[in-house]
Amino acid sequence: MRGKFGPEGGGDAGGASCGGAVAVERGMFDAPHSLSSLQRTRGRAHVGLTAGERISRLEQQGSAKVFLPRSHGPWPEAVFLNTSGGLTGGDRLEYVAEAEAGVRLVATTQTAERAYASTTGTAALDVRLRAGAGARLDWLPQETILFDRSDLARRTEAELATDAHLVMCETIVLGRAAMGEVLERVALSDWREVRRAGAPVLVEPLRLSAETLAGGAALIGGARAFATVAMVAPGGEDALAAVRAALGPQEVEAAASAWDGKCVVRMRAGAALPLKRALAAVLDVMRGRALPRVWQI
Amino acid sequence: MADAVPAAGLLTLTQWLSPAFPLGGFAYSHGLEAAVEAGRVTDAASLQAWVGDVLREGAGRSDAILLAHALSDDGDAVALDRLSRAMAASKERLAETLEQGTALIRTTNALTGADHPAMTLPVALGVASRPLAVDPVQAIALYLQAFAGNMVMAGVRFIPLGQTEGQAVLAALHPAMLSVAAEAAAAPLDALGGAAIGSDLAAMAHETMDTRIFRT
Repeated sequence: MRGKFGPEGGGDAGGASCGGAVAVERGMFDAPHSLSSLQRTRGRAHVGLTAGERISRLEQQGSAKVFLPRSHGPWPEAVFLNTSGGLTGGDRLEYVAEAEAGVRLVATTQTAERAYASTTGTAALDVRLRAGAGARLDWLPQETILFDRSDLARRTEAELATDAHLVMCETIVLGRAAMGEVLERVALSDWREVRRAGAPVLVEPLRLSAETLAGGAALIGGARAFATVAMVAPGGEDALAAVRAALGPQEVEAAASAWDGKCVVRMRAGAALPLKRALAAVLDVMRGRALPRVWQI
Repeated sequence: MADAVPAAGLLTLTQWLSPAFPLGGFAYSHGLEAAVEAGRVTDAASLQAWVGDVLREGAGRSDAILLAHALSDDGDAVALDRLSRAMAASKERLAETLEQGTALIRTTNALTGADHPAMTLPVALGVASRPLAVDPVQAIALYLQAFAGNMVMAGVRFIPLGQTEGQAVLAALHPAMLSVAAEAAAAPLDALGGAAIGSDLAAMAHETMDTRIFRT
């Protein structure tokens, strides 16, 4: 990974510009401040790009990192990384990506995020995205793999200026396929919210529990992986025909809809790999450019 | 006499939620039509499982929480309506809740002299029902019965099933309606959500069906 690495363990503690502390302070766990809580993973990584795709902000703390590999196109890529290797009870991570007016930015994650089994409460991951006037921001994290007995609260919030463009995806994989793991108990609260000029325009609050996993065809329906892709942009509806033409193959159940400046695709499959391939095909059509190079397909 | 006001409110609310009230609910299947065509819902048992999952983990539960907040005098109707619209899983889902909510507001405004703007169905019902002083758990359970009743009737017509079979499915879902209503009545907004992925996929797939009886 050649490129412009940021400072290691940068010291910004109070510079959250997106009100990032709010969700983290919601009381995800109520344990007293003990030695074990001090040993839990903490991290915050923040990247901001301003006119001319110049880095205006690059801050890292704890086990959250963000770097910008040398880019060969007009779209800079910011790659977020959790150096602790996964999330477990009591961990708190925050990623922030900001594209100022007119800026293009692709943000992704270095690898799949792993939510490990937890006996010590909830892990919290907050993702805050901001796109200024005319900015184009893509948030394309790699999949989140839920281990049995994992407990994750994630909140992804995107704040868009009136004419900003956003493409985002989220992929959930249920268990480690290589181990044949079948989830019996899991707790996931995964709130995804896109606001335009302050008003919510797309809210998808995903919640998974043991009861959900046991549900029928209207719920998970035996799938091992599922994903949502959304484009929120002026004229976003226009992508629908091309996106529908890119859906498939049959082993992946997928459908799309477009309305009110949104084009949304959902898919589920019996395994992660065909789902990721189908997701990549949709993103290719929706974005018209290559996926981040760190994506492992 | 002490129960006269709640009894009157309940009578009004059941009128508003009856299939005869002009909301047009019979026209929407909430994606069930696509699920039947795909062979996922084929009989009374699979219909009951599908509708039960939607009640507990899909729009049933989410609408119930939105309705609970809209029923409260402290509920911010504009913010709840925006949130409800933003949560619509597809183009037709938004149409389903907004067209019925608009019809409800139009008719109840005319009946009561209120001047509420168009809102999604759960928010519209909550705001319009505030003066009725109905117990929230009861109001939410009645709403869920109307919501599930539309889906069950769509199943009766499209699978098809006998009328009695359909009513047996609806009766078997009463415990789910009551437990969702009890939870939703006290739930904060950040308890919204579920994982009705199959239901949301069906709602989207409905848009591209060749022939359709229902609007959703």
